[in-house]
Amino acid sequence: MTAAELGMCSASRLFVRELAAAGGDALVREARDRLGRDYPVFDFVAARALEGDPAPPIDPEPVCGALAGIARLLVVGLEAFFLDALVEALPDVEIGLIADSGGMEPDLRRVLANYRDRVEGVSLGDIHRWAGRRSALLTFVYGADAHVVYVNATWLRVSGPDVRTSFRSLVGWDIFGRPMLVYPRWLVETARDDLSNLVGP
Amino acid sequence: MPPPHRHRPHRPLDRAPASAVASLIRPEAVERLLTPWIPDAEERAFVVRCMIGEGPIHHRGASYALLLLLGQLLERVDPPGTLEPQPASIGHDGGSAADSTPVPLRLPPHTTPRGDGDHHYPLRMPTAPLERIAPKGSPELAVLVDCLLDGPPHHALANAAMVCLLDALLRRADGGA
Repeated sequence: MTAAELGMCSASRLFVRELAAAGGDALVREARDRLGRDYPVFDFVAARALEGDPAPPIDPEPVCGALAGIARLLVVGLEAFFLDALVEALPDVEIGLIADSGGMEPDLRRVLANYRDRVEGVSLGDIHRWAGRRSALLTFVYGADAHVVYVNATWLRVSGPDVRTSFRSLVGWDIFGRPMLVYPRWLVETARDDLSNLVGP
Repeated sequence: MPPPHRHRPHRPLDRAPASAVASLIRPEAVERLLTPWIPDAEERAFVVRCMIGEGPIHHRGASYALLLLLGQLLERVDPPGTLEPQPASIGHDGGSAADSTPVPLRLPPHTTPRGDGDHHYPLRMPTAPLERIAPKGSPELAVLVDCLLDGPPHHALANAAMVCLLDALLRRADGGA
């Protein structure tokens, strides 16, 4: 439930923080060893914590640069910590959310309640209502290399040929900055060129 | 004993690989070309992506070639960087610029859009060149506009961009600015 309603990376940050508080690096290392291959986002966050970087700062400014001039933003996938920063940084932009957490169903009412009407839930059938020359799509990217990016599966449904040409920008926010360390199950691989902008940390 | 198996003689491929088409397309060349009509860099990138970065690969290559050829012709009469912002670029908010028509986003008919009428691409197609072949205000002119702007975005936008370039060329040919 935590991963569904916060997002896998945001939930992993919390989980790693609590593990570290309870048992230090040894417990984080053990949890990573046991769970990492099944939960690659947790594996990545735990690995980075063990490198001494448990919670890298979240900077929405590069994303805001890529979104300059837009009036509407449709976010595909949920990462609560990152969405929190984005909502605060874009006070004049209408924001919609297509929540997806790797097949887990979030209680969208609970998720949206955190944003006090600043974020509206959007279904796949309503995507085109958000289209426009001042509209953008954004999804969270869980690492990239020169050719591919890792995203939630809903992005592939959303960014089809009929939608791509109805939004000014298709922005990927790379919240990892480098590829994951184990097979990225729960996520899907797509071409880096599917995005009009890829913004890194 | 069965006859020996005969392989089909090798024939060279008659279709260029998609990667070969993609590798020759330089979006920045088209963006540069359309600057007088779409001053905003982000909006220009949007239109160019829809024209030569989306849709069937052969359409991308064909639109790229035709736009650049028209661009070369335009450069003969207006060296790069000397063309002023064009009338079709003024007021491209979906309805205010005279003598031009906006290129609509291709949304499902049942869609009720949000927002304030920005459901057009940031490129307007001038109608003046079309009035050379159909009278202003005539049903024929409306049909021509409909034909040019209907269909998927890569068609409609490439058509509109080419009419923009042809408009500039025709006006120059007539001795105008």
